Amino acid sequence: MIELSHLTKVYGDVAVVHDVNMHVEAGTITVIVGTSGSGKSTLLRMVNRLVEPTKGRVLVEGRDVLKMPAHELRRSIGYAIQSHGLFPHWTVARNIATVPMLLGWDRKKVAARVEELMELFQLDHVQFADRYPHELSGGQQQRVGVARAMAAKPTLLLMDEPFGALDPIIRGKAQADLKAIQRRTGTTILLVTHDMDEAIHLGDRIAVMNGGDLKQYAPAADILARPADAFVDDLIGPADRPFHYLTLGTVRTAVEPGEADGAPLAADTSLYEGLGALLWSGRRTAPVVDASGAALGRVSLGGIADKAARPR
Amino acid sequence: MIRDLLRPGILLRLVVFAALVAFLAAPDRFAGLLAPLTSNGAPSIYTQSSLIDLTLAHLFTVALSTFAAAVLAVGLAIFVTRPAGVEFLALSRAIVNIGQTFPPVAVLALSVPAMGFGEAPTRMALFLYGLLPIFENTLVGLSTLPPAVVETASAMGMTGRQRLLKVELPLAMPLIIEGIRLSAVIGLATATIGSTVAAKGLGEVIVAGLLSNNLAFIVQGGVITGILAVLISDIFTAVARRATKRRGAPSAAARTEPDGRQTSGA
Ligand SMILES: Nc1ncnc2c1ncn2[C@@H]1O[C@H](COP(=O)(O)OP(=O)(O)OP(=O)(O)O)[C@@H](O)[C@H]1O
Ligand SMILES: [Mg+2]
Repeated sequence: MIELSHLTKVYGDVAVVHDVNMHVEAGTITVIVGTSGSGKSTLLRMVNRLVEPTKGRVLVEGRDVLKMPAHELRRSIGYAIQSHGLFPHWTVARNIATVPMLLGWDRKKVAARVEELMELFQLDHVQFADRYPHELSGGQQQRVGVARAMAAKPTLLLMDEPFGALDPIIRGKAQADLKAIQRRTGTTILLVTHDMDEAIHLGDRIAVMNGGDLKQYAPAADILARPADAFVDDLIGPADRPFHYLTLGTVRTAVEPGEADGAPLAADTSLYEGLGALLWSGRRTAPVVDASGAALGRVSLGGIADKAARPR
Repeated sequence: MIRDLLRPGILLRLVVFAALVAFLAAPDRFAGLLAPLTSNGAPSIYTQSSLIDLTLAHLFTVALSTFAAAVLAVGLAIFVTRPAGVEFLALSRAIVNIGQTFPPVAVLALSVPAMGFGEAPTRMALFLYGLLPIFENTLVGLSTLPPAVVETASAMGMTGRQRLLKVELPLAMPLIIEGIRLSAVIGLATATIGSTVAAKGLGEVIVAGLLSNNLAFIVQGGVITGILAVLISDIFTAVARRATKRRGAPSAAARTEPDGRQTSGA
């Protein structure tokens, strides 16, 4: 889907992105993490040419982005940012319709698409379509921003700290929604964040940036298990590592034969949530059921703890 | 609440406008009112030319020069805020500033030899004088847009032209209108000096009053000009306010909806 080779951006005499090579699979979520100023946004913005690379190449679906007219390239790539950048003088519906209108879709098709997206993002059409951005809450503005980015059904979506301005509860919900929508549409997403939790929660693969260098690019589990260097290790936070690890697996993977008392856990619950449920209810074991409610066996504290241990 | 406060204001303006129209339509009926300002049985109403013709000529001169100034100033401000034009920013500023600092009277004096007596020198002076407020306001409007909004316009795939027409100009509109308002109001007052070079306008009444020592003439010329300035200023302000409201600027954002629902810009 995306192929970055020797990608470099120099400002003055500082390489804020330095010789980055990366391949992003179609239909996956790739998260770029790193400390502030590490070049995450610059890297992301070179993909749709908001920043022109100093050196190197960007291929999107096999096409060299530097050889396409910038505005055509950008109409084919969704883009959403933290401060949403909604057009303050346009209604919610008109904002969402931005790219379809630029592409010259006919009005009926645009209106249908806007309605479809508002439903997808749980914004009541009657209530919100004709409102202006300043008449929305931050969470609603953010959803409109993402809906706008997806309006023309781009196969690639770039997101720069899209949930940065949201409170923890809305943020968690927005992340879950994005993941669900992505699984449904198969959109490839490249997302920037400085929040490791978000990266592990959303990312099929995680790219860690530091000082303009790509330090490690691997699936979340590998980043946790085998951090490439001290910086990556630090970013994960050693104390949190086992718990991060538990968020990646489901209790299904820890099912053992046997029976247990109390409320059952769904097999698709994450190990992290399963552990929480056991601890809080004061149990050492709990029954596990599948989606249809059929008993699969049980999980135990010890079984979950084994899954949190560093893999060898 | 704001709506209610505005209502008496609008009413007052309508009354003032009606009075102005009534006076211009039949000035003679007001002769008695102005008579105390005259002495030795001098006429209290200017009759050399019809007041309504002078008023329309005055308005036309101001409208024409303000329009021309707006076209050039907005165009110039757009040009110097594009990548291709940034180098010309300082130069444009300097030229426009000269237009403002050069006294209109001097412009008149200098342009009469070239353009002859009549409207042309006045229009020239007003045009030059009107450039600065519009240019500066447009410049501020275009260069202080929220960066995230301008950048997203590009990121969505708008071309430079689409970004200007669909996003930048609409968002800068309240400030541009404010600049045009300033130019128009200044122009209305300044246009009166045009009469010194035989331009048709309300200045003619004032100058006649000065020459014949007739206070009634001076007052009617001055008051008509003043009322026009206030009313025109109000119209521009109302238009600018509408534009601001739509744009949802934080300052204008907190307001009560017609159904009483509070909304805020946060
Ligand atoms: N237009 C520019 N001119 C000069 N330097 C720039 C420019 N844009 C970014 N930089 C510098 O490049 C570096 C990387 O910036 P970038 O925005 O990519 O960081 P980031 O990883 O996204 O940080 P954050 O998490 O704070 O958003 C920073 O040191 C920044 O100051
Ligand atoms: Mg950034």
